[in-house]
Amino acid sequence: MELKTIHCFLVHPAKREETQPDIGGTSVPKKGLLYSMLKGIFDKSEEDCRTDISFNHNATGKQQNDCRDLLLAYINSHRVDDGRSIALRLQAVTTHKSGLGLLFLMVGNDGDKSKLVLSRFPADQGILAEESKDSLTVEFLEKVFMKSATAYKSALYEGKPTANAFWTGRATDKQINNPGHEFANYWIRDFLSSELRTTSAAGSRRLAQALRVAMQNLSETEAKSEIAAAVTLITGIDGKTTSVEAFCDHFGLSSKAIDAVRKAIKHDNLMSENFQFDAVEFKRHIAFRSVELSNGGILTADASQFDNIFHREDLKLDKKEVRFTTQGKIVDQRLRKGKI
Amino acid sequence: MNNLEEIYRQRHSQFLVPVAEKLELHLKDCLSSLHRIDRICSRAKSPARFMQKALKKVNQIPKYSDPLNQILDQIGARVVTFYTSDVEVIAKEINRYFHSIENKILVPDGESEFGYIGQHFILLLPSDVLAGFNDDDNLPQFFELQIKTLFQHAWSEAEHDLGYKTTSQLTSLQKRKIAFTAAQAWGADNIFNDLYNELESDHALNSQ
Repeated sequence: MELKTIHCFLVHPAKREETQPDIGGTSVPKKGLLYSMLKGIFDKSEEDCRTDISFNHNATGKQQNDCRDLLLAYINSHRVDDGRSIALRLQAVTTHKSGLGLLFLMVGNDGDKSKLVLSRFPADQGILAEESKDSLTVEFLEKVFMKSATAYKSALYEGKPTANAFWTGRATDKQINNPGHEFANYWIRDFLSSELRTTSAAGSRRLAQALRVAMQNLSETEAKSEIAAAVTLITGIDGKTTSVEAFCDHFGLSSKAIDAVRKAIKHDNLMSENFQFDAVEFKRHIAFRSVELSNGGILTADASQFDNIFHREDLKLDKKEVRFTTQGKIVDQRLRKGKI
Repeated sequence: MNNLEEIYRQRHSQFLVPVAEKLELHLKDCLSSLHRIDRICSRAKSPARFMQKALKKVNQIPKYSDPLNQILDQIGARVVTFYTSDVEVIAKEINRYFHSIENKILVPDGESEFGYIGQHFILLLPSDVLAGFNDDDNLPQFFELQIKTLFQHAWSEAEHDLGYKTTSQLTSLQKRKIAFTAAQAWGADNIFNDLYNELESDHALNSQ
């Protein structure tokens, strides 16, 4: 898609400030090194922006969103004034912790489809070093705007700019993984007034169901043990943004275990879709872990506590033989008609 | 408009019907832990009803300039429950699993009026439902979900059916009759809900 216009705005931190600083804004000419770099970001935005997001309805429940209205106005006009309104919105939610930033708005068209990329470069301090034949000069730079690996943010919206378009988009936000911290809400929730497309409950339920099915279908004890161990440790990622794929990676599942999870999920795009993990919801779908032994014994406990409740020893004579021990008062006994 | 009907017919059979079937299963799974749900159903809007809506005019001007993109209830789902107090519980669960771009409780305008009541959402079709379908131009992004009590459901079905049987304006008496049935349904809902709450608290006290 051809990149048509680029506008740039210097955005100050001014959240909760009575007087908002004025924002100028300028067009970026379609030539030179800056243009080449921004064109690279525009062209690669589909790869960079990996978190699916969707705008929220307004406070009264109506099908309207202030941020979306601003983006649609800008996409349709390509005017710097409309871009400035977007920058002012960003400024009004930017705290001093997030600091000064440069906002680039890039719009492209292809037939009746449009693409908008928003890209925020945070300010940093830097040193300019220039080397000549026999000397080196260094200079302190107060405002350097960098595509920081930890604080860079972007968003992408693509499609026909019709009345019901652009409700969904994709974003990059490395700081979203700080649950409870203001950084986590700054870009997607406060500025874009959006949420992740897949809710915490929906994503956590999807992961739990996939793991359950994978466990049922696997015949290899090793791969089953890997999934069971991951389930025991999963509360450690509560509140973090993850995906089924990232979960498998985080807990170092083997290819056999991953294949079983992939088969259970059925579709690749569901493997990679991000969501915020919710341990309570996960537990609604995987509450207990059971181990069945060759002697007919079945041990069951809270999935996240299983390894604390039952102590496992791998017996020396035969590595496949194990001994489980546990200790406690008997509080109940049950008879069942089938295996649990 | 024949072209519009043809495009919609194709979309209906290729995408809307299978997506609606998958959505119904997904909704049933998501709400499986809730009690007193009478039914969960999902449907693709029929080509005839789509065209009827697409050609609607307001003050002689077409209501929709781009009906294929503007009409968001091409897939509609309904959850029918027993009591009015269940509606909020179901709505809460829906909000946990689905992202909404609209959430409204429809009630008649004035205190002395009776008519359509229900909770309506416009929700994003979840990726779990859309997975496996590939056609950005024809796959809907949204669906409409209604949560209704049995009485609200019965009233709206009959009222909807009657609406399709008339091409002229209803007479004053006909309007009064429809309002009367809405009032009866509203009353029945309130009494059943009160009874349910009374008996539930009795039951809770007795089991203490």
